[in-house]
Amino acid sequence: MNCAPFDLRDYCLHELSAAERQQVESHVKGCGPCREELDRLRLTETALLTLREEEIPQRIAFVSDKIFEPSPWRRAWEGFWGSGARLGFASAAMLSVALIVFSLAHTAGSPAAPLTVGVSNTSVSNAQLQQKVQQLEQRVADLNRRSQEQDQVMQRAADAFDYLERQNSSVERAGYIQRPANGDFK
Amino acid sequence: MIFRAVEDADLIQQAARGQMEAYNLLVSRWEKRVYNYLLRITGNREDALDLTQDAFLKAYQNLRKLEDPARFAPWLYRIAHNEAYSLFRKRRPETDVAELETEGTDTGITVGGSSVFPLELSLAVASALERLSPEQREAVVLKIYQGFKFEEMAEILSCPVSTVKSRVYAALELLKIELAPIKSRGVS
Repeated sequence: MNCAPFDLRDYCLHELSAAERQQVESHVKGCGPCREELDRLRLTETALLTLREEEIPQRIAFVSDKIFEPSPWRRAWEGFWGSGARLGFASAAMLSVALIVFSLAHTAGSPAAPLTVGVSNTSVSNAQLQQKVQQLEQRVADLNRRSQEQDQVMQRAADAFDYLERQNSSVERAGYIQRPANGDFK
Repeated sequence: MIFRAVEDADLIQQAARGQMEAYNLLVSRWEKRVYNYLLRITGNREDALDLTQDAFLKAYQNLRKLEDPARFAPWLYRIAHNEAYSLFRKRRPETDVAELETEGTDTGITVGGSSVFPLELSLAVASALERLSPEQREAVVLKIYQGFKFEEMAEILSCPVSTVKSRVYAALELLKIELAPIKSRGVS
């Protein structure tokens, strides 16, 4: 047992703050028994540290398993289209753009329409409007069909990339491999 | 302190996103230390190597569960500790883990003669460590050789800080006695 302000073992084991260490050091200067005890602890620590660390016989390295890992193409594709919210947002955005384009085109065609419109003119305008809406619906349907076709093409492309990557990574099939200590892979 | 262009925390984040190269770099930084920790508590090189591989594999599989990258070291050592103790239990299921001893010489080095050579000193230290209980030995390894703080050791060993302290203190007292004859001659 010692009379130091803090445990000398904590001092030796670097568990004290700088201020606490300073207090211990100034105490030890004037206290013989504590100084001897601290010397014994330091010597024990020094002796322990003569036991050196060993080199690891085989270095450890991991490789990714491409067999089970999706390709970057597929990850990007699924990342974008995998979300229903994104798909819905994209559809809504397309419809909004179509409506804006339609309204701009319609107003540009009749910039200064008179306030007093004849019955026959109104009926003609309504018919034209119906026709335009139908055309627009047709175009939106066409766009959707083309988008689906593009989806299918991209899906096939992603599958093809996956297949190619699997072919290329057949040597790296293991979950992890060891590499020798010189750093060269087996 | 060695300057590192990329900190461990960055590597952990990259590895958690699936970048294997980042994880390999992290492994290369820690493999020697983890191996030596496991070697000191198992006393067997082959076991230590197998356990090191298992620990790093398990760490990779659970990397996303690591909330604070700054706590990577204690977290990794906790995994290594668990792997080692599950091996001990598998090998000697009927034996209490606290009673397990590392394989090695039953009789320690008898220090005699007038001088102590470094090899002799190392053997004497190894022998003195073997005489400690497995828990005391692991505490000394984590504190002296791995440089963990008491709090981190408590996290690794899953026990209170007070328990960690008492193990380290008790081990130091024993080592002080065991190594006293050597110190008086060989170490200054």
